[in-house]
Amino acid sequence: MGIAGKLLLSRQRHLKWRALDLLEMALMIICGGALFGFSVTVSFDILTRTMGHPWLWLQEVTSTLFIYAIFIGAAVATRRNDHLYLSALSDALQGIPRLIVEVIVRVVVLSVAVCLVYFGYINYLRGFGSFRLPSGTPIASLYAAIPLSGALIALFTIEQLVNGFRNGFDNPEPPEEPLPITSLESILSSRDES
Amino acid sequence: MSPPVVLSLMTFCFLFFGYLGVPVPFALMAGVFVGASLIDVSLAAIIQKMFDGVDSEALLAIPFFLLVGELMSSANVVVRVANLSLALVGHIRGGLSQVVTVFSMFFSEMSGSTTADVAVISRALAGPMKREGYNPAFIAAIIASASTIAALVPPSITAVVYGAVGNVSIAGLFMAGVVPGLMIGFGLMIYCYFFGPPGTRRSRASIGEVALAARAAALPMMIPIILLGGILTGWFTPTEAGVVAVVWIIAVIIPALNRGHLRLLPYDFCLAGLIFSLPLITIGAANAFGWMLAYMRGAIVIADWIISIAGNNPHFIMLMLVLLFTIIGDFIEPVPTIIIFMPLVNMLTKVGDINPVHMGVVLIATLAFGLITPPYGLVLLMASKFVGVRFSQALRAALPIYVVFLATIAFAIYFPKVVLWLPKQVIPESVGCFKAPDGPGYICPK
Repeated sequence: MGIAGKLLLSRQRHLKWRALDLLEMALMIICGGALFGFSVTVSFDILTRTMGHPWLWLQEVTSTLFIYAIFIGAAVATRRNDHLYLSALSDALQGIPRLIVEVIVRVVVLSVAVCLVYFGYINYLRGFGSFRLPSGTPIASLYAAIPLSGALIALFTIEQLVNGFRNGFDNPEPPEEPLPITSLESILSSRDES
Repeated sequence: MSPPVVLSLMTFCFLFFGYLGVPVPFALMAGVFVGASLIDVSLAAIIQKMFDGVDSEALLAIPFFLLVGELMSSANVVVRVANLSLALVGHIRGGLSQVVTVFSMFFSEMSGSTTADVAVISRALAGPMKREGYNPAFIAAIIASASTIAALVPPSITAVVYGAVGNVSIAGLFMAGVVPGLMIGFGLMIYCYFFGPPGTRRSRASIGEVALAARAAALPMMIPIILLGGILTGWFTPTEAGVVAVVWIIAVIIPALNRGHLRLLPYDFCLAGLIFSLPLITIGAANAFGWMLAYMRGAIVIADWIISIAGNNPHFIMLMLVLLFTIIGDFIEPVPTIIIFMPLVNMLTKVGDINPVHMGVVLIATLAFGLITPPYGLVLLMASKFVGVRFSQALRAALPIYVVFLATIAFAIYFPKVVLWLPKQVIPESVGCFKAPDGPGYICPK
C-alpha cells in the first residue's frame, strides 16, 4: 500500500462517502505539510538568531502553520474517529439504543460545529481590527481557521449521520494495523540459546 | 441564573456528553456554549478564549515531542533500547517486568507521552511476557504503571502544558519531575522484585554484552541527552530542543539504523500532524471552560472552601488539591484538568506560599496516578486492550502498585527540598532563585 493509501483509514468505512476520501487525504497532507513547515521555520529561527540576524517573519509563519494544523487536524480527526474520548458507551450497545446514542452524539458534535462556524465567523470579522507583527496582516487571517474547521467538522458529521441512518452505525471493524515495533522475542530466544 | 447553577449545568453537560461518547473537546465546548448562553457572555468571546488557549509559543513544543515519539516508534529502533534494558536488569528477580520498568524509564525520556509509551512497550514486551507465563492482568498493570513515568520526566507533555498554562518554568518542571519519576521507576522495580512473579531466571549479562547492547542503542539514547542537555545548558528552549531531536532522528538515527524508513517519513509527518492536534484542540476547549469557571468565580468558591479547611498550611493545601485532582483525574484526562483548574491552583499556590514548580510536580504526579485508577484510567485501559485482558482484571492487579504512587506523591509533598534540589542546582532561576547582587551564587526563596 502506498503512502497515500495508508493515509485513509479503513475504520468505519460504512459511515463514509468515497467522494470525501480525497478531502480526508488532502487534509492529512495539509497537516503533515504544516508540521513539516513549522519544523523548518523553527529550525531557521534558531539558526538565524544564533547568527545574530533573526528573520522575524519566521515566527509569524510558524504560528500560522501551527494554528491551521491544529484546527484542520481536529476536523479530519472527526472523520477518522481519532479524537480523545471519555468512554465508548455506544460500542457496548446494539439495535435501537445504539442508534439513539450515536445520533445524540453526532447532533451534539454538529451543534458545536455550527457554533464554531457562526460565532467563529463573528470573531473572524472582529479580527480585522488587530494586526500581526512584523507583517501587519490582520489577525483575522488566523481566526479564519476556526469557522473553516467548524464547516469541515459539520460536513463530516452530516456524512456520518446520513450513512449511519442508511447502513446502520453498528458494523464489524477490521483489526487495527499494529505498530511496526519488533518484539523482544527474537533477542530473547537468541540470548537463551547462547 | 446563579453562577453555581450555571457551573453545575456546564459540568453536567460535559460529563454527560463525554460519557455518552462525544469526543472530549466537543463535550467541553458543548458545556461551555450551554453555560455561556445562560449568562451575559458573548459566544464569539468564548471562541476567542478557545483560540487564546492554543496560541502559545510554549505549546509549540508538543508537536515536536510527539513527532520524536512517532518517529522512534515507526522507524522501529526502540527494540535496541529494550535490548539494553534486558542486558542491564533482565537477570534481576522479576525478569521481564524489571525490563518493562527500565525500558519505560528510557523511552519516557524520548517520547514524553504516556500513551506512546504504553503502545510501544506493549508491542515490544507483552508477547514475550505472556510466553514466559506472566499473568496477563499483571502484564497490563505493570506496563500501564511504568508508562506513567512519561508524565513526570522530561520531555513530559503534561509538564509542557502545565508550564505554558500556569506560567511556570517548563525546564524547572522537567528537572523537578526527575526525582518523583525515578521514585516511581525504582518503586516499581522493588515491587516486582519482592511481590511480582519471579519470571524466567536469566544469567547476568557480561560486561561485553552490556557494552554491545549500549553501543547498539547509543544513537537513540542520545535523544534524552540532546533534549536535556540543550535545555539545561540554556542553548535551547524546550521547543527548540524538540526540533533538534527531530533533526537528529531524521538526519542520523534513521539513515544509520533503518535507511528504508526514509521513504515513509512523509507518512510519519502526516500522522504526527494529526496526532498533535488532538491534545491541542482539547487544550483550546478546556481553556474556554476554565475561563468560564474563573469568570463565574468558581475557582474562588472552591479555593475559599479549601482554605476554610486547610488554612494557609502548604501541606494541607497540597493534600486537599491532591484529593481533588485524584477525584477529578478519575473522570477527566490530565490536560483538560490542568487547564480548567489552573486559576484555582494559582490562587492556592499564592495562599500557601508554595513554590509553583513544587506544586506543579505534585499535581502532575497525582494526574499520572489518575491514569491507572478507575473508572477512566486511560493508560490502564489502553494496556488492557493491547495485552488482551479485561480492564477489571488489570485493575485488580494494579491495586497493590498504587502504594508506589501514593508514597511518591506523599514524599513529593513533604520533601520539597529533595524535589527541588535538581532544578535549584541546574537552573536556579526556574524555582525563583536570583543572582546574588554582591558576589557569586544565588539567593533562593525558603
